[in-house]
Amino acid sequence: MSTATQSPTVSSTSERGLRPTHDELRQNVQLLIQLRWAAGFGILSITAFARYVLDIRLQTTALLLIGLAVLVYNFLLSITFRGDTTARQVERAAWVQIILDWIAMTALVHFTGGITSPALIYFMIHAALAGTVLLPWQARSLALLATAIVIGIALSEREGILPHVAIPEFEMSSALYQNGTYITGVVFFFGTAIFTLSELVTRIAQRLRQREERIRELYEARSTFLRVATHELRSPLGAGLSLMHNIQQGYAGEFTPQQGEILDRVTRRLEGLRTLIDDLLTLAASQEVTAAHVPLEPVGVCAVLDQIIERETPNAAGKNIQLTCEKSTEAGVVMAGDVGLAIILGNLLNNAIKYTPEGGKVSVKYRLNRAAQRVEISVSDTGIGIPADDLPRLFDEFFRARNTKTLQVTGTGIGLATVRTLLDRYNGHITIESEEGKGTTVHVTLPLASATL
Amino acid sequence: MTIKILIIDDDPDLVLAARMPLEQAGYQVFSAGTQDEGLAAVDTVRPDLIILDVMMDTHTAGFQLAQKLHGAGADPAHKAIPILMVTAVHQTTPLRFTPDEDYLPVDAFIEKPIDPRTLLAQVSTLLRQS
Repeated sequence: MSTATQSPTVSSTSERGLRPTHDELRQNVQLLIQLRWAAGFGILSITAFARYVLDIRLQTTALLLIGLAVLVYNFLLSITFRGDTTARQVERAAWVQIILDWIAMTALVHFTGGITSPALIYFMIHAALAGTVLLPWQARSLALLATAIVIGIALSEREGILPHVAIPEFEMSSALYQNGTYITGVVFFFGTAIFTLSELVTRIAQRLRQREERIRELYEARSTFLRVATHELRSPLGAGLSLMHNIQQGYAGEFTPQQGEILDRVTRRLEGLRTLIDDLLTLAASQEVTAAHVPLEPVGVCAVLDQIIERETPNAAGKNIQLTCEKSTEAGVVMAGDVGLAIILGNLLNNAIKYTPEGGKVSVKYRLNRAAQRVEISVSDTGIGIPADDLPRLFDEFFRARNTKTLQVTGTGIGLATVRTLLDRYNGHITIESEEGKGTTVHVTLPLASATL
Repeated sequence: MTIKILIIDDDPDLVLAARMPLEQAGYQVFSAGTQDEGLAAVDTVRPDLIILDVMMDTHTAGFQLAQKLHGAGADPAHKAIPILMVTAVHQTTPLRFTPDEDYLPVDAFIEKPIDPRTLLAQVSTLLRQS
C-alpha cells in the first residue's frame, strides 16, 4: 500500500544521455525567461549608455530594436508559459527560446562589429545554457552551429555580402574584419572554447541527472523494503496477539493465576513490539511524503482534523477520557500533504490520550488566524506532563521523557521526531508547554496556502 | 436456526482466533482461505455475516472481494449480507478506512489483533441491524 506520491516525471534513459526531467526543464525555461528580462533591458541601457554617455558611434537604432525584440518575445514566452504546461509544451518552449535567442545573438554580433565584436563572447553563455537543457549531441551541434555562424558573419562581411558595421572606437585597424589571419585566430579560439565549454556543461548536467536518478531509485527501494518488511513483521504479531487474547479472555479454557500473569507479560511485550513496528511504518511514510520530489498541495485542515478525532475517539472512550474539539467556523487550507498532516495530528492526539490517565481530559482547539496568515491548532491534556529538563530533547528520534517509564505505556520516541520532520517540510512550527504532573499543551501553526503562494 | 458466519482470511491462525469466541457464542463458523473460495462459499454456505480480511495474499484482495459482494452491480442477495472487515492498517495508513458505498463497501471494521470481546460485540451489532 503505497503512501508515496510518484514524482510526476521520470527521466528517460537513452544511449545518448539522460533527458532532463519535466521539472528540471521547466525550471530552466523559467530561469531563462528571468535572465532574458535582464538581457533585453541590458541591451537597451548599455546601448544608450555607450551612445549618449561614452559617445561611441553605434548602430543605435538597430541595437535598440534588437533589445526591444528580445523583450517582446520574452513577454510572449512568459505569458504562454504561465500555468500548467505539459512536457511537450515545455520542450517546445525550450527550443523556441533557443532559436529566438540565437537569432537575436547573431544580429547583436553583426551590429556590433561582426568578427571584431566584443559581444561575440556572449555566445558562450548561450552554449552553456543549451548544455543544461539539451542532450549532449544537441548541445554539441549547437556549439558547431555557433562556430559556423561566426565564420558565416566573418566571411560575408569580408566578402562584402553583408555590410560591415564598424565601430570606430573598437577597431585599431579599420580593416581588421578583412584580415584573414585575425579571422582565423578568432574563429579557432572561439570554436575550441565554445566546444570545450559545451562539453563540460553537458557532462556535468548528465552526471547530476544520473545521480538524481540513482537517489530516486535508492529511495524507492528503501521505502518498498520498509513497507514490505513492516507488513511481514506485523502479520504474525497480529495473529499471535489475537490468539493470546483468546486465552486471556477464557475462550480457550481455564488457566491458573500464575499462567495468567505470564500471559499478561507476554502480551505486553508483544504490544510494545507492535507499537514499535507501527511507529517505524509511520516514520517511513512520513519520510516518503516529505521527500523533496513530492510536491506540496492544498489541504483542508478541518477535514483532516475531523478524520483524526473520529479515529481517536474510541481510544479516548476506552480510557474514559473526555475528548473535546473547538473549531472556529472558518476553514483553513495549508500547503502540505493530507497523509503528512494526518500523521502530525494523529501523533499529537494519540500522545495526549496515551499519557493522560483514566478519566482525564484532552481538548483540541483549531483557529484560523487571518492576521498572521496561519492556522493554529493546539492539543491540551491533563496527563503526566514532561519534566522541564527533557523538553529540549523531545524531538530527538527514540528519545522518551523519563516519567514515561514509570507509566505502563508503550512508546518508541519516534512520534514527535516524525511530527517535527513533517512540520519542517510544511513550513510549520511546533511549541510544547508542559508542567510535570499537570498536563501538556502542544501548539502547532501552519502557514495558510494563500500566504505561501 | 443457528446463525452462520463466514470468515475469509488466508491466515489460519487468525481464522482460529476469530472462530473460538464465535463458536462459543453459538454461531456456526465457516472459513475460506482465498478470494475465489470465499466467493464460492458465500453461495454454498449462505452466511448471515462475512468477516473479511483486508489484506490477503495480495494487498488488495479484500478490497476486490468487498467490491464484488457489495459494489455497484453486485447480486442483491450478496449485498444483503453484512461484511465486517478485519484491518491492521487503520491507524497508520492514509487510506480512507471508513465504510463508503463506492470506495470500500463494507459495514464495519475491526482492528488486528482481534479482541474477542470486541469481535462478538461488533458481530451482534451487525446482525441486529440486518
